[in-house]
Amino acid sequence: MFAYARANHPRSVRGMEEALAKDPELFTEVAEKFGGWAAGVHGDEGWAPLCVDAYVNFSNDVIMAQARYEADGHYENSSFAECEASVYADREVMDEYLWGVFLTNFLWSHHMELSRVFRDRFARKIAANASVVEIAPGHGGWGVWLLSERPDARLQAFDISPSSIAIASSIAKSAGVADRASYERRNALDLSALPAGEADACLCSFLIEHLEEPEKLVEVMAHLLKPGGKAWLTGALTAAQIDHIYEFRKESELVLMAEKYGFRVLETMSVAPLRTLPKARFVPRSMGLLLQKRTTELG
Amino acid sequence: MADTLSKLQDVFRDVFEDDDLVISRATTAAQVSAWDSVMHVTLMMAAERAFKLRFKSGEVTGLKNVGELVDLIDRRLGG
Repeated sequence: MFAYARANHPRSVRGMEEALAKDPELFTEVAEKFGGWAAGVHGDEGWAPLCVDAYVNFSNDVIMAQARYEADGHYENSSFAECEASVYADREVMDEYLWGVFLTNFLWSHHMELSRVFRDRFARKIAANASVVEIAPGHGGWGVWLLSERPDARLQAFDISPSSIAIASSIAKSAGVADRASYERRNALDLSALPAGEADACLCSFLIEHLEEPEKLVEVMAHLLKPGGKAWLTGALTAAQIDHIYEFRKESELVLMAEKYGFRVLETMSVAPLRTLPKARFVPRSMGLLLQKRTTELG
Repeated sequence: MADTLSKLQDVFRDVFEDDDLVISRATTAAQVSAWDSVMHVTLMMAAERAFKLRFKSGEVTGLKNVGELVDLIDRRLGG
């Protein structure tokens, strides 16, 4: 992967090396895991060119969007319809987008910090034999990682994108967990039609900033969980992307939203890239929240 | 094309804060130590302002050297 990046994308290597240097042990573990799954889908020789190209294109799109955000003071798009037209409905665009995002779990150094909390404080701590719901799995890596950590868990995942269903299913198969994972095309915000209070755990990574009404997502997560059930929620703050439409500015906005819908906030973390644009007004941040559905009003 | 390269040199010197920086069509990121992915976008935004145009992300991500950037700008300006 590094050899391919050095030869073909030298400007992007610095960030990759920073991620490796930040936590070599975790980087190696996650890179081998995610790289191995991608190799199972694209072949040992094919995965690095495809995924690294996608990662570089995605990352550069993100930096460019952030630069436009710095200049304009607002995200480029503000409605789901705009994003659906330019991204979600285009299968080719979406496939590359998802494989690009797939590598950010370890190639973006600040996302590795989220990965460690996800693994140690969520995936390894949920109830035995857990029934887990993943909302908008995208590439599927988070949920598949949970299943690889927890052979006793089962996963039901829902995403509006056909690309997501295809890619996440292929990664689950590659990881050998497909018998415990199901992927269904369905709008996340329609999940309130599912039975209430049946899931032991729920995860949703980087969907909330793509929604016009983000509170509805938190409400759905609360609806699906049993009292005492755990949730992993991540979101982006002042971090532009072509399909980010809800501009969270402060960490407390996500915390208050979670509390409003009956969650106890167990842990939060807010992380940012090591390098940002010169003279940046907005620090692009990613936030992880470890939540528990309350068992009583204040329990 | 020579005008474009000359004007781009001013952009490079401003972005990388190096008044002695000299670029040619063959200059690559490997020869300018701070030219990483973040600075590449900073450079493209500065070039947009200098030449009064707007790039698409896909146009500038794959640029291999200064010459390809010069050609892109000239194409966009109709040169």
